[in-house]
Amino acid sequence: MVLELQKPRPIWAIMFSTHHTDIGLLYLIMSITFFFLGGALALGIRAELFLPGSQVISDSMTFNRMFTVHGTTLIFLFLLPFASAVGNYFVPIMIRYKDMAYPKLNAVAFWMIPPAGALIWLGFADFTWYATPPYSSIRAPGPAADMWIFGLKILGVSSVLGAINFIVTILKCKHPDLPLSKVPLLAWSFLTSSLIVLVAIPSFAAALVMLLTDRLGVTGFFDPARGGDPIAYQHLFWFTFHPEVYVLVIPAIGMMYEIIPRFSRKPIFSHSSGVFAFVLLSAVSFSSWAHHMYATGMSFTEKTVFMVGTLAAAPASAMHVFNFLATMWGGRLKFTTPMMWSVGGIALFFSAGAGGVANSAMPFDFITHDSYWVVGHFHLFVMGTIAFGSIAYFYYMFPYVTGRMYNEAMGKVHFIMSFVGTVMVFFTQHVLGLYGMPRRVFDYIPLPEYVVMNQIASVGAMIIGASMALWLFNMIYSASKGKEANMDDPWGLGGKYYWPHQAKNPHH
Amino acid sequence: MAKGLVFLSLAILVILPTLQLASGAENEAGQYVQRKVEIWNLFFKMMTIAFTVGAVVSGTLIWLVWRFRESNPKAKPTKYEEKGEW
Repeated sequence: MVLELQKPRPIWAIMFSTHHTDIGLLYLIMSITFFFLGGALALGIRAELFLPGSQVISDSMTFNRMFTVHGTTLIFLFLLPFASAVGNYFVPIMIRYKDMAYPKLNAVAFWMIPPAGALIWLGFADFTWYATPPYSSIRAPGPAADMWIFGLKILGVSSVLGAINFIVTILKCKHPDLPLSKVPLLAWSFLTSSLIVLVAIPSFAAALVMLLTDRLGVTGFFDPARGGDPIAYQHLFWFTFHPEVYVLVIPAIGMMYEIIPRFSRKPIFSHSSGVFAFVLLSAVSFSSWAHHMYATGMSFTEKTVFMVGTLAAAPASAMHVFNFLATMWGGRLKFTTPMMWSVGGIALFFSAGAGGVANSAMPFDFITHDSYWVVGHFHLFVMGTIAFGSIAYFYYMFPYVTGRMYNEAMGKVHFIMSFVGTVMVFFTQHVLGLYGMPRRVFDYIPLPEYVVMNQIASVGAMIIGASMALWLFNMIYSASKGKEANMDDPWGLGGKYYWPHQAKNPHH
Repeated sequence: MAKGLVFLSLAILVILPTLQLASGAENEAGQYVQRKVEIWNLFFKMMTIAFTVGAVVSGTLIWLVWRFRESNPKAKPTKYEEKGEW
């Protein structure tokens, strides 16, 4: 337990600490701050799309800037740092070591993120989170675009440093009595996702340098007028960012693996199949990047290879879902807030996966490409699965971080509103895509179907926004005035826990 | 490991028919737009599979939540609770 608000420590004692729980806490606070900033932009976007024509945003350039920063923020400044928060806090405890392998490097990795976030937010670039060339290399206005590029570069280095730290900590610092086969699945999820980071990030790191030198006029890698090829950027980008999806989703599944057995009052059904599925997902994450690029004129053979590669992720994902179901089977389920968020996350994970399987068929992909189907699909993953798993774990770790219990009723209302809102927004966006509405548009044709479906999505987004405001209130109120938690068993479940305050190491 | 292989086999059995349907397209430029009917046909077939599997898995999840919730009159302590081992 590092933060007891009744007996606060000086803020600099936490800020300049290299202890893993302090770094975890810093990651947690920063990621949630960016969650609310990125979420506010989403509400602005949905308010604008409530009706055709200009509503609350004055021009399309501002709209482009908003969804660019929205996407960049929620992926790189919320989801990734949130996973790091959980990993930093719990992985050393789970593998029974005093800290991360390289505590100072850990602090450096964290402190690279705030300046990167500042670059992204102060620049407010307009070329989408994908930095679309040739627009990004030729015409996107600077210094916004250049600040975005530097921000992403810094975040990439931070991710690599964090990944090295997790890998070394888990493989080299775990207790000698703890074989890898017994390492909890949450720690396994960080091991596998860190390996993906190490392999995937260099490709985008190179692409960013090439993009910057293109913008400086030194090169023309992605500029067709100078003999360059924008499609090359797509390959470099998606080689990093398709696996990055798994970097985000694997820790979220790991978090659910902690919660589902705990609140089912049973051990996980199959630890080995969970490990197997994590490793399999890591491998196949590199076999499907070009499914984002079916429409770029690849040959039929290439497309088939990537379609099969994409489908290869389905068995591994299904193994996780079946493992969760089998764990719950025969249990005695206590539906506290973390459990509700986890079960909701599993349901939406399955829905998002089913949409992905359908979309991997290339003829179908030609219809949905760059339509709202794609927006619905990936948001169902990042919000419905990854954010749901993350918020579940947030509630799960809350008593151990603050020493207090959150308000259970508010937590449940938060879940119900978010679940309903998520279904309203992202399921509707799938259908909107099938009706042909393109993504990344400031305005749309006033077809009755478009208007109604956009309104359903916007109302859903407002419901999510209201639920998150409730979450913020619950966090602040409960952290300062909430009931004191029973640190041995906050939910009255029994069983054994990995709790920080129980760790025998004097460093804790 | 055996359980893992069973899971994998079951999952592949679900995926293979989908794969076979999806690989029916060809590569000539312009054909995809002209073959709209076939594409929608493929989509409906795939969605039939997706909805069938989805209904089974989602139905199982909903049933599990209903049947094994602790407030269900049939709920009883798991064998692990008595030992405190999980």
